[in-house]
Amino acid sequence: MIAFALEIGVGALMLLVFIATLVARGDDRRWVGWLAAAGTLALTLLALPLSPAPAQLGGAFVQDGLALFAKRLFLAATFIGLLGGLSLPGRPFLRRAGEYHILVLASLLGMLVLASARDLVLLFVAFELMSIPLYILAGFAKREAGAVEAALKFFLVGSVSSAVMAYGLSFVYGAVRTTSLAGVAKAMPDGDGLLILGLLAVFGGFGFKIAAFPFHMWVPDTYEAAPTPFVAWLSVTPKAAGFVALFRVYFEGMGTAVSFWVPVAAGLATLTIVAGNLMALPQQNAKRLLAYSGIAHIGYMLVGFAATSASGTAMVLFYLVAYVFGNMGAFLVVEAVARSEGSEHLAAFRGLAQRSPLLALAMLLFLLSLGGIPFVAGFWAKLYVFWAAATAGLYWLVLLGALLTVVALFYYLIVAKRMYIEAPPATTRVPLEPMLALAVLLCALGVVILGVYPKPLVMAALRVAAPLF
Amino acid sequence: MSAYLPVLIFAVLIVAFGVVSLAVARLARPSRPDVVKLANYECGAEPIGPAWVRFPVGFYLVALLFIIFDTLAVFLFPWALVLKPLGLSAFWVMAAFIGIVGLGWIYAYREGVLEWK
Amino acid sequence: MAAPGLSAYLILAALVFTIGLFGVLTRRNAIGILLGIELMLNAVNINLVAFARFEADLAGLVFTLFVIAITVAEVGVGLAIVIAIFRVRRTVDADHLNLLRG
Repeated sequence: MIAFALEIGVGALMLLVFIATLVARGDDRRWVGWLAAAGTLALTLLALPLSPAPAQLGGAFVQDGLALFAKRLFLAATFIGLLGGLSLPGRPFLRRAGEYHILVLASLLGMLVLASARDLVLLFVAFELMSIPLYILAGFAKREAGAVEAALKFFLVGSVSSAVMAYGLSFVYGAVRTTSLAGVAKAMPDGDGLLILGLLAVFGGFGFKIAAFPFHMWVPDTYEAAPTPFVAWLSVTPKAAGFVALFRVYFEGMGTAVSFWVPVAAGLATLTIVAGNLMALPQQNAKRLLAYSGIAHIGYMLVGFAATSASGTAMVLFYLVAYVFGNMGAFLVVEAVARSEGSEHLAAFRGLAQRSPLLALAMLLFLLSLGGIPFVAGFWAKLYVFWAAATAGLYWLVLLGALLTVVALFYYLIVAKRMYIEAPPATTRVPLEPMLALAVLLCALGVVILGVYPKPLVMAALRVAAPLF
Repeated sequence: MSAYLPVLIFAVLIVAFGVVSLAVARLARPSRPDVVKLANYECGAEPIGPAWVRFPVGFYLVALLFIIFDTLAVFLFPWALVLKPLGLSAFWVMAAFIGIVGLGWIYAYREGVLEWK
Repeated sequence: MAAPGLSAYLILAALVFTIGLFGVLTRRNAIGILLGIELMLNAVNINLVAFARFEADLAGLVFTLFVIAITVAEVGVGLAIVIAIFRVRRTVDADHLNLLRG
């Protein structure tokens, strides 16, 4: 049972929040959210001392180091995301706080199971459990035309990608005659055409979920129209879950056959980095800017994936942690500014440094981390990923990535220029909800601590990635 | 042939159920027909007119609920077939599953989805 | 007459999948797109059942049941989103849903 402790915990928390929703009365029911946030924090703390457990359900569910690493990340990110969303204004969030939080927890449960899934059926079910609540959450403000439209786009693209993925999984099953991933790894070196075809289709399905280049169209629209604290969470955790599942399906136990994925991943990484960075340049809406820059970051992680080595995998894990803190933090600052100014346009950031110096400093830290400047987390993340790729001999990919990092720095610094150099439209402070401030603070701490002292996390990532190969 | 005896008994029971319940209803109910009651009934839609009418959105909500409970049967059938060898643990697993789906029903009820507006 | 082999079923599934994908790409009505997605997932089921039958392996049938259940969950959510959109915008035509750029 101990192997399922976190999953059972999230399930019990959902039940608790559900009962609270049933007894809640009145128009402001946001206190239900506090239950969810406190429960997630408790589970995060519970996850820290857990140690790997033997495989369960006939090998379909495995609680190894990689799963635990990922689960801690998902829980911590969800806690920060929930903190940021606690004070969301607007009638749906007041009245339907219970639904919002149950949906987030349901998606979290899907991610937790996904990190442990070593069976095609469990993998697919967990993947959908993660995805389906996200469609609903994107359109949560169901009276706003933009929000439901974004939800529909997200849903259509997401479910088509799920169908492609399921189609691929059916070929994988047909080729290896078992649903266990160990069977897939065993059959891979033979290079059966049916298996390769299936795995490529599945890769396409994953590409949609992590928003790699040709499959990224839903990202900017969904991010722009969905509630920002949810977007902060959406932009990091499901992608982290997608990467962990990628490692399981394509790396674990495959031996030398992993090299088959190098050109696929390297090609996808190239396209994603170039497209994401170039499309981010002309953006004037902060959320769309972060959406495109997020696509570029997925490309950098795919560089680490293309290294197909233990160190490459470990560095992607480190990158994911740095990205969780940096990207979530940036979105949460956008939320704070947008709530005060009523606009997500970059002009809303003018003179933020004079109005709210600490908030501007936090934003600067996040932008520097995303841009990859030394002594914040993102610098090490990029450096390590490039190093892993160079070790694998992918020099041109490293060169291209480094070149486009400069482009990325340009649009990040435009935001910084608005905050620090331009004159503010008003001198009043930007009001900040205490819980939103706490969430921003946690992200800023993460970025700084990982930037100054990354070693323990790097070691941990290397330790959990080694058994995959 | 005796293997088909249960089928025969079932067939008789089914026919008898229909005949008996209609006959009892015929005898027991009051009969006061009027124009509205005698009109053809088709799920609340106008029975005569173009087929491309807009249905009240309430139908879709009920349909959504129906489809979810309908699909429960997908898991119930194989479960029922192997219940005996698997024993009591399988029973409780399914009870938990139906319980979770039941929570959804309770919520729909609380939100007033089942009331016709 | 010989019974159709595995490849016949795979071709049937591929056809159904392609028809579904074609519907998704060309239909302008959101409900029509949903129908296309449904077809794609049904192609998956044909594949799985065919493999399970010809490889005499039960796992494919179990997989099919889960795919059916997930399809229903997906279509349920999709239909709910379409209803929400209709309430706000009075249209389910994908060409008219253009509030967001891109």
